[in-house]
Amino acid sequence: MTYYEKKPEKKFFEKELEDYRDSIWGCARCNWCQNHWGWNVKSAEYSEVCPAFHEYRIFPYSGMGKMHMARALLEGDFDYEDAPEMVKFLYTCTTCGACEMNCQRLQDKEPLQVNETLRAKMVADGVGPMPEHKGLIKSVKNYDNPWMQPRTQRDRWARKIPVKDANREKVETLFFVGCTSAFDNTQWHVTQNTARILLHAEVDLGMLGKSEICCGSPVARIGDRETFISLATRNIELLNNTGVKEIVTFCPGCYRSLKFDYREVPGVPELKPRVYHTAEYIHRLISEGKLKMPGKMKLKVTWHDPCHLGRHCGIYEEPREIIRAIPGVELVEMERIKDQSWCCGGGGGVRTAFIDFAQKTATKRIEEAKKTGAQAIVTACPFCEQNIGDALSKMDEDIDMYDLTDLLIKALETEA
Amino acid sequence: MSTKKQKVIQKKLPREVYSALKNVAGEQWIYEQRSVVETYSKLSIEGGSFVKKHEKDPHVLPACVVLPASTNEVQAIVKICNRYHVPFVPFTNGQVFCNPTTQDPTLIIHFSRMNKIIRIDTQNMCATLEPYVDYGMLQAEAMKRGLWNGGTPLATTLCKLASQFAFAGLWQTDLKYGLFSRNIVSVKMVLPDGEILTTGSRCIPKAGDFFEYGPGPDLMGLQRAGVGTNGIVTEITVKLHSWVGDESIPDISAGRPSLVDVHDPKYDNPDKPLKNHKLFWCEFDDFETQIKAMREIAHSGIAIGLNATGVYSAFYCSQTQAMTIKRCEEKFFPEWNCYVILANVTSDKQIEYEEGVLRQIIDEVGGRFLSESYKPEVLEALKPWNYDCIRHSTGYRMNRKFYANAWLPVGPIDSAVTTQREWKKALDTFGELDITDRGGAEDTPFIYALQRGHFCLFETDNYPDPTLPDEIKKAQGFGIYGAAAVVKNSLGPMLMAFLNVEPFTTMFPEAGPDSHLFMRKIRKVFDPNSVAAPGRQVFTEQEWQQFPEAVKNIVNKMREMNDMPAVE
Repeated sequence: MTYYEKKPEKKFFEKELEDYRDSIWGCARCNWCQNHWGWNVKSAEYSEVCPAFHEYRIFPYSGMGKMHMARALLEGDFDYEDAPEMVKFLYTCTTCGACEMNCQRLQDKEPLQVNETLRAKMVADGVGPMPEHKGLIKSVKNYDNPWMQPRTQRDRWARKIPVKDANREKVETLFFVGCTSAFDNTQWHVTQNTARILLHAEVDLGMLGKSEICCGSPVARIGDRETFISLATRNIELLNNTGVKEIVTFCPGCYRSLKFDYREVPGVPELKPRVYHTAEYIHRLISEGKLKMPGKMKLKVTWHDPCHLGRHCGIYEEPREIIRAIPGVELVEMERIKDQSWCCGGGGGVRTAFIDFAQKTATKRIEEAKKTGAQAIVTACPFCEQNIGDALSKMDEDIDMYDLTDLLIKALETEA
Repeated sequence: MSTKKQKVIQKKLPREVYSALKNVAGEQWIYEQRSVVETYSKLSIEGGSFVKKHEKDPHVLPACVVLPASTNEVQAIVKICNRYHVPFVPFTNGQVFCNPTTQDPTLIIHFSRMNKIIRIDTQNMCATLEPYVDYGMLQAEAMKRGLWNGGTPLATTLCKLASQFAFAGLWQTDLKYGLFSRNIVSVKMVLPDGEILTTGSRCIPKAGDFFEYGPGPDLMGLQRAGVGTNGIVTEITVKLHSWVGDESIPDISAGRPSLVDVHDPKYDNPDKPLKNHKLFWCEFDDFETQIKAMREIAHSGIAIGLNATGVYSAFYCSQTQAMTIKRCEEKFFPEWNCYVILANVTSDKQIEYEEGVLRQIIDEVGGRFLSESYKPEVLEALKPWNYDCIRHSTGYRMNRKFYANAWLPVGPIDSAVTTQREWKKALDTFGELDITDRGGAEDTPFIYALQRGHFCLFETDNYPDPTLPDEIKKAQGFGIYGAAAVVKNSLGPMLMAFLNVEPFTTMFPEAGPDSHLFMRKIRKVFDPNSVAAPGRQVFTEQEWQQFPEAVKNIVNKMREMNDMPAVE
């Protein structure tokens, strides 16, 4: 296969390392997989974008290193026995996609896809994922969620909120809650906020409650394709059968899975409902005049782009415009934003397997946020909120952490 | 039936060496794992390591990687290497023209932990940097202080300034500011035997950084082009110049891509260059007129940058490989052109005045400006250069195949014609590897006018498929032929490559003259144990004897094709 010959039209979840052969041989070592895009660098301190390389300083942790290890493995230069440490290198990646962004932009190559394909190969070959991930996979298989929680607990957050049951009655819009914010009661405020905001705007809202199942994002990112494909297949059938026109979710992992990853699963039908992230959906409601926020507060905030929402899916402006639309709230930007945003450190299975590294990465983000003079970091991702929130709780910093919906609810409640 | 592939086994350092290194850098900063050394073995631009990877040659694998944190640690590591006769190679990104390893277990000294800007001296307009500081870091910090380093090379955050001390450092704005090598005030180096050398006025106690040549002989000049053979730069002080743009870099007007739409050209189209800068594109009917115009512009004293690019515009301004190829096939960009960067360095009216001069020159010579009324679609497509003329980010958007060979001769501007003729001859002789190889034959080579046009650098390249070793070897053939052609035509030294490294240093004695013999003596003094990047810049007698006859024969064949006698 040469660059000129058309690659076979394979979907991502059926691709193997061989499908990236030309790309991994062709890595130009330009190192832009580690660095902030040159046009946007504003300081030496924040000139890097790869959390793993930033911390460990050797190439196997970078996108470039993954390409080189993939080449050697593909060509048989070494195998797992010769390089057992490789598993750790591959899984100390938050899958933030900064490497993929800059490499695709410059070299038309795919270091993150290569890393995820390597992970899939390792799982298939029985050498991956990290031991810490095995419980997560088992939980997804047994309970349809990664948190080892019984299905009956999935809708506890909604006891006092009149969201319709989409299993029983026809609704226009389905709230796909996602596992983390359904089961983690420290995140219920986000789930409840979202439902209340949408109901306030008179959205015909329903949910699947106990019958919702994991979108598959956690297992996809750590390379268990078999489980992911199974979940995608079940979800597509389940969601199509509801007859809803649109799905809203506030978890960027769920959003990416439903909107983009399911398309990359071979042999499954199309997901029919249109998928929105909460930020997109609320932005639309505000634009249509269905959500008014006369309540005034005095707050300076900075927006943390969740990687799977921003860089992966292109939702940069909507949350910013929502924040600007809240009276009295001032938005100030960090240096590394949007396509060059610094990851919270929690994604890609890193928080599960490498909590110290995850927390260090979050700490750096908090320090970056502090330099803006903001009183609060605002985001819209349960994993970012968990990881940054945990790091923040260990720091003596005068800065708060909010979900986007927290601000909106405050503005709406002030009106009430 | 599955075929078991042959493994490539790395060599190991003797345990006493590992222990000694561990005592210096700490165990957490020494790596011997197979997958780690792999990522320090296949380099960029260097076809040899690609071919050796295909051939499963274990000698491209280093034995160990160590990450020092200070000059003192580098010094201690180098002394250990001397004590145990372990060859070492300094390493930043791995974009080099020569293979890093030897037949013996080799130590890589990687500088990724030495990534601090030590100081920016606004009074004396200079900055002192550790070896892993890149142009993006320095520019951002300097610009905040109303200064900048004068330019960027191919890729802002790719290039480490200390790595370019040797022989790279080609900028968009070389017309005014000169090459990087003309912008170094001093270096602190760990010599191959572990001694520390400081050059320039800085070595006079309390004198500070302001004078690069003395006291005594010009030691920095001696060390330049050392390719790591003459020592390791652990601190470098570079000149800064007045910056006339914004003190904080504005966000790009073109917006930010995501992985969903990363290849959309709209994200690469900044509307205009940075504040107080202006970029003009000029088109000509033929190469001779282009060269004449460039000579006139350079000599007129206007502009901070003057360059020409043919195929490079197809690379830099195209978001995918397919788009690059299509634009080459269609000859979308002007074949004969130059671009001119103006800046209000001394006055708010400077651009206005210089634009008048430029327009007069182009009118007299017989060229045309791309504009909103003349080829607006081409001007639109060229917009990445609006930022790249200062902060060269898309500069590494080259052909997505393998940048395996480059001809990079310097010479007076008229010698561009010689470069183009010889490149055409090489294409006719060897055949092209890719349509983009025609760049520089059917259109202008990349031309940088340097130092007010006193001389220029020309570039033409090959891009083989990295998965096909025969193609890579062919590209290497182009490189050797190019070296011979440059020497035969008495062009200047290949600025960034080849003639500064072995086997060319030895096999083209005419390029010196006989500089390799001088450098061989220098190496004996500086590197008595032959441990510093062995065989990179100059062979010892022993290394020369061990060098494969087959390669010597190929070089001699290329010499013969250029009517030059064989080297014994």
